[in-house]
Amino acid sequence: MKANKNKTLTFASCIALLMAFFLGSNAQAETEDAAAFYKGKNIRWIVPYDPGGGYDEYARLIAPYFAKYTGARIRLDNKPGAGGMRGVNELFASPDDGLTVGIINGSAMVTNQLVGIQGAKYKIEEFKFLGRIVADRRVLAASIKDGFASFEDMIDAKDEFKIGATGLGGSTYVDAVVIGEVFKLRQNLIHGFDSSSVIRQSMLRGDVAAMWGSAGSAADSVDDGLNKVILQSGKQRSPDLADVPTVMEMMDRVNASAQDRDLVRAWQGLNDVGRPVASPPGTPDYKLAFLREAFKNAMNDPEFLKICADTGRDISFATGEEMNTIASDAAVMPDAVKEFFIGAIKGEL
Amino acid sequence: MDMLAAFGSGLSQALSLEVFPYLLVGSLFGLIIGVIPGLSGHFAMAMAIPFLYSMEPNAGIAFLLGAHATVAQGGGITAILFSTPGTGQNAATLLDGPPMRDKGLAGQAVGAALMSCFMGATFGAVSLALLLPVLQKVVLWFGPPEIVVLAFLALTFVAVLGKEDMNRSLIAGFLGLFLSMVGLDNVTNQERFTFDMLQLTDGLALVPVIMGLFAVSEITDLWAKGGSLTGNQVKPLSARETQKQIFEGIGLALKHWWLVIRCSFIGTVMGLIPGLGSAPAAFVAYGHAKQTSKTKETFGQGNIEGVIGPEAANDAVEGGALASTIAFGIPGSSSMAILLSGLFILGMETGPRMVSEHADIVFIMIFTIVIGNFIGTVVGSFLVNPLSRCTFLRSSILVPVLIAIVFTGSYAVNREVFDILIVIVFGLIGYLMKTLNYSRAAMLIGFVLGHAIEKNLYLSIKLSGNFFFLEPIPLVLSAITLIFLIYNLWPQKSVPTAPAQKKEA
Repeated sequence: MKANKNKTLTFASCIALLMAFFLGSNAQAETEDAAAFYKGKNIRWIVPYDPGGGYDEYARLIAPYFAKYTGARIRLDNKPGAGGMRGVNELFASPDDGLTVGIINGSAMVTNQLVGIQGAKYKIEEFKFLGRIVADRRVLAASIKDGFASFEDMIDAKDEFKIGATGLGGSTYVDAVVIGEVFKLRQNLIHGFDSSSVIRQSMLRGDVAAMWGSAGSAADSVDDGLNKVILQSGKQRSPDLADVPTVMEMMDRVNASAQDRDLVRAWQGLNDVGRPVASPPGTPDYKLAFLREAFKNAMNDPEFLKICADTGRDISFATGEEMNTIASDAAVMPDAVKEFFIGAIKGEL
Repeated sequence: MDMLAAFGSGLSQALSLEVFPYLLVGSLFGLIIGVIPGLSGHFAMAMAIPFLYSMEPNAGIAFLLGAHATVAQGGGITAILFSTPGTGQNAATLLDGPPMRDKGLAGQAVGAALMSCFMGATFGAVSLALLLPVLQKVVLWFGPPEIVVLAFLALTFVAVLGKEDMNRSLIAGFLGLFLSMVGLDNVTNQERFTFDMLQLTDGLALVPVIMGLFAVSEITDLWAKGGSLTGNQVKPLSARETQKQIFEGIGLALKHWWLVIRCSFIGTVMGLIPGLGSAPAAFVAYGHAKQTSKTKETFGQGNIEGVIGPEAANDAVEGGALASTIAFGIPGSSSMAILLSGLFILGMETGPRMVSEHADIVFIMIFTIVIGNFIGTVVGSFLVNPLSRCTFLRSSILVPVLIAIVFTGSYAVNREVFDILIVIVFGLIGYLMKTLNYSRAAMLIGFVLGHAIEKNLYLSIKLSGNFFFLEPIPLVLSAITLIFLIYNLWPQKSVPTAPAQKKEA
């Protein structure tokens, strides 16, 4: 009996010792664990658009550097559909083991949520952001032969002119509605084009006089003196568009009202969300910290920066923590402005 | 760079040691992708993109375009031998290809198809070369008014295809138009017939629909009938016999050179227009071949012209699509969009500058299409023999294998499980249509053209007003459409009324 009791005691104390060892060492081992965890693993990177698009290109450009700093292999997974929502939904529902990340169309996803679009199975504020690759810079390109060599020409236009946009409530549409409202432009907004490329062709034919779009897609198009960018978003002029005035500058020129300024500020806030990279909600903090660090290093890698400069790809890095603020701020706006946006997105304006 | 110098430079570069191996590999890759049902040019290009990062520009272009050029050829082989279109463009070949196989003339059909593809691709590439100086002007001719009238003209080919049973063909055609409206309409931002399913927001995906309508229905029919694909009346062909037939087929394609040129022309013109896709071109060419044939009654039962026409057109489409893509950097289709990004990765700019400063690169593209197709034709004709042995296998072996391949191919397009459901549903619909003699081709034409017609009609009215069709090109095209419709729909007492059992198109 006594021998049995001794055995049980020894056994129990061994268990207790082992438990103390594992539980106690957990906290410290976590940070080292992250690097060891990711070494040699596969990280799935969801891209909510087809290969060849802007989002896909950014992901492909940075993936090798992200791989370098995480020690993992990156597998790009294109999941196009529903204007980017399919991929975002899938990212939101992915397992939170830290092995899935995704690039998202931040501005569109915030506005989708604002309007309460059906089919949005995500909450933008619950994503764990790794950081932002680039903020959305919106530009207005106009046809010179239709008489628009500068934005002032457009403000002063005597006759109605046509602006082309893609889907009702899409970003190119909302851009035109907002700026048209603030500057009281005599525009006839023709939406419904299938893509920006089709609008560009329409512009070259002379069917429409101008179109909104992202700076990246405008840079890709070679218009050879037929069209030019006459207005850009942002608080400061982009180095690639040094001669083009910003919306803020033009608002001072026309003495815009306080409400108009609120409207533009909200618009700018949405643009600032841009193209962030995120992982699903519930990703453990220590893994998230590791991924954020790797993302930051990748975005600041001199080789990566050189490639971006060479290929003309704009970059505006923001950290994961900053992204949390940017994303939540983007949805905050005065009620009147919010109503205006919802109306614009629903196509009621 | 002047044209002649660019021509020479392009040719020598395409045949050089740095470029040619990539051309070869790309073409073979494309051929195999084409043979697998469900995988299309778009898929081939998307798969090729990651490899571009490590390639030189010239080699990269040859690889990309080589892959894209041969997909339709591979698809034609599968369409004829297994009644399963390898890609969307080959759906029209199903009308007369399998019937030829059933008559024991599979080799002839494949030989003719491969040769027509090659000739069509060459025509398209040559057109591109000739159009280079005026490329921009020509591409800009086609705006919404022109596109809507042209698409409508293509739609009226339903009338030609379904001459035997106009009611049923029209019903099928309109059903197709209706199905094209499923999805989110970006004009009104309203979801139409999506039943709140996110998977339907972008509409019914084309490849699963075609796979279901044409592949699964045929496989189901085969399963129901039993026996082998060629039926029990034909003796299995020997390898020698098949090879002989292939050469005969090639000869026949050359004999019908005038038909090939006309159908290639149709293909190139329709390729110039962004947004129409390549499937309509093949059907329009089929309709034209039937219209102008001296033996129209045998169409649908194994007339070689019904194979030559579509195959020539669907390869010529590439030349046209490439023209509009490089003229302005505006992609004519989804695979062209991928090509554009591939060019971007390789550091090339498209647009007027490309034509004026890098004309030799354009010629490399042209030669890649021609040489790639030639390689595809040669290799394809050797692939046929082993593949055609399979058509004599029992259905109990063939059916499960084909279904597995079709399902996998359809899933691979979007990696969406819902697409497999679409395949099954349309497989049922297709089988019913086949049994009840409704024209699946008519439905497909309606389905493929519906979006282009509706969208461009809206834009035409918004941009050019209610009388947009009075502009020069639309007016001419409308006149052609009217004449065409009157000619086909006018009751002709000389044509004997066909019995209801006549095989559906």
